[in-house]
Amino acid sequence: MASMTVPDLHIDSLQSLAQAEVGCDFQIRALEGPGCEQLRNLGFCETLRVRKLAGGRNLICSVCGTRLAVSRDLAEQVIVSSLIAS
Amino acid sequence: MEKPPETVALAGNPNTGKTTLFNALCGAVEKVGNYAGATVSVRRGQCYTPHGRKLEIIDLPGCYALAGGSPDQRIASDVLLGQHEKHPRPDLVVCVLDASHLERHLQLALEIIELGVPVILALNMVDMAEKSGLRLDPVKLSEELGVPVVPIQADRGKGLVELKQAMGHPLPAVPEPLWEKGDAASRTRFGLDAAELAARRPTLHSSNLSDRLDTVLLHPVFGWVCFIGIMFALFWSIFSFAGIPMGWIESLQDFLIGQVENAMSEGDLRDLLTQGIIGGVGAVVIFLPQILLLFFFIGLLESSGYMARAAFLMDGFMAKAGLSGKAFLPLLSSFACAIPGVMATRTIDSPKERLVTIFVAPWMSCSARLPVYLLLVPMLLGGSEGGSMQALVFLSIYALGTLTAFVVARLLRGRLGPDEIKSHFLLELPPYRLPQWRYIFRHVLDRGWAFLKNAGTVILGIMILLWAATTYPKLESDDPAEVLAHTVVGRVSHFIEPIVKPLGFDGRTGTAILTSFAAREVFVGSMAQLFHVQESDDEQAMRGRIRTQMAAETWPDGRPMFGPAAVISLLIFYIYALQCLPTSAVVAREAGSWKWAVGQFLFMTLFAAGASLLVYQTARLFNLA
Repeated sequence: MASMTVPDLHIDSLQSLAQAEVGCDFQIRALEGPGCEQLRNLGFCETLRVRKLAGGRNLICSVCGTRLAVSRDLAEQVIVSSLIAS
Repeated sequence: MEKPPETVALAGNPNTGKTTLFNALCGAVEKVGNYAGATVSVRRGQCYTPHGRKLEIIDLPGCYALAGGSPDQRIASDVLLGQHEKHPRPDLVVCVLDASHLERHLQLALEIIELGVPVILALNMVDMAEKSGLRLDPVKLSEELGVPVVPIQADRGKGLVELKQAMGHPLPAVPEPLWEKGDAASRTRFGLDAAELAARRPTLHSSNLSDRLDTVLLHPVFGWVCFIGIMFALFWSIFSFAGIPMGWIESLQDFLIGQVENAMSEGDLRDLLTQGIIGGVGAVVIFLPQILLLFFFIGLLESSGYMARAAFLMDGFMAKAGLSGKAFLPLLSSFACAIPGVMATRTIDSPKERLVTIFVAPWMSCSARLPVYLLLVPMLLGGSEGGSMQALVFLSIYALGTLTAFVVARLLRGRLGPDEIKSHFLLELPPYRLPQWRYIFRHVLDRGWAFLKNAGTVILGIMILLWAATTYPKLESDDPAEVLAHTVVGRVSHFIEPIVKPLGFDGRTGTAILTSFAAREVFVGSMAQLFHVQESDDEQAMRGRIRTQMAAETWPDGRPMFGPAAVISLLIFYIYALQCLPTSAVVAREAGSWKWAVGQFLFMTLFAAGASLLVYQTARLFNLA
């Protein structure tokens, strides 16, 4: 699959993981920000699916079966789209 | 000359079971834990292939990538890149992957393949992966990557023979990357495609036991209720369950004293054996059951996966002290012993946060302080030991040390300024697992043995010296006070009494504090000797005897010497003082400077003395002394 960039996507369907609704599945579309490298090292990358399990100061999400606690700052740098919308 | 064995490094993401595999391969019993960062240093061992060839196995700390990361992760990447000063580049790398998280863990494996070393992939925990509905195809994965792939269950020893065979001569060929070497995007894409072919994941996210447990244990309200409940239960059980084995040790001590007294006539040697050695060392050894229980419960929390949840819950609280949830694990470990706690700070990404955590870690009341607390706390509760009231006082003591540590951390963090590169809280929450009892018990036994070894060497030595110092030079007199005043200790006590008196202590207590600068737990034995606690034939506990003697002591004006104010002042001193030389040595190594260790020692000692002074003098002001 060709890699997608943010402008290629419908802006309406994009949101940060911090804004995303708890309990829903999303697809990671872009990683933007200074914490990107840390996220990529941990396995976050475009095209992966992510489920947001809990919100709050640090949110909990599940990526490829792994539960991760991610700070809100960092979650703001993960751009996702709803699986239905994509 | 015989050729040295080839070295095999066990590498992989954190918490993939590298140390469990290391233990299984080498017959070792290194500490394992169910959280990222259980291993923070390199361990070495040896094993033999089925053909009898010896291999040197190196267990590396987990890392997510070969660049960057926290200090423990950089150790691993330095070894793999051949940049570590002590460990040369390995001849073979066994990448240990958690089979349930192939998509993520393959990324590091591909980076290692790019290094041009022979590589074997060990797919660990295949049983759990298959149970979760994952369909694995190791043969397909091997074909895709061009490296041997061996499915294993390290905790049960399954797949080890196949893995050892793969490590046998000749070593696997150096794989050729099938993606664009050095291009992270190409590597990521290749890894994801390979993972999709080799591990088919069920499309729907199904809630498992860990998810269900987390809904309660990480709940904003119930999570905290559970956390406080677990911590209270932990301390309560330590003080309640340990009573029985402590009684056995007491009986053994009384039996030994009785045997020596029956077999020997009165004299200095008998006094040395009964008061100095059996009495002094016994007063410390009696706390062994409590220390073992503390290590057992911390091992249980680490092994079950709850530690990472506690770090998650504590992150918001820790942020108020300028730290992150990642500092919680080292700080909680420091309740057992500050040395592994200080070493565990290697998992903290921010260098400044790491330094601050190292600085305050010794304020978490370690197990060596337990004997002192156990001696003094009942004096505040009318002499009775055990029960929920004592657990509550202990919890307050631990909370006081922790809260002070947080306040100082906040101030220090403010002074050090922000990090050059901002680090964010990012933590893997491992699935809950049944504890690995074998390793927990072995770890507990190792710690118990280390405590006994300390009691048999350092503490025994100090007790003998102290006995000699309280016995010589001798004075022919019937007045024990006059005899003691004539001895070395009497003279030292006389000298230091003006210094410690404002804190509420007499010269003998001051001397006991001085002796405990080598090891805190020495204080109990020193008090037993310095206050001439008499042995008796009844089964009264040693601590009870010391407390009775302390309660009977008075100042020359008739005031009780160990009223509540003096006891609290003494407790405060022990909560805050850094009296552990090995901790200072580890701090110097981890902080990279003795200045930091010396500064920490001076600061904590002066802080302890200042806090004691404040408490005692305030109490005197209100006539509570």
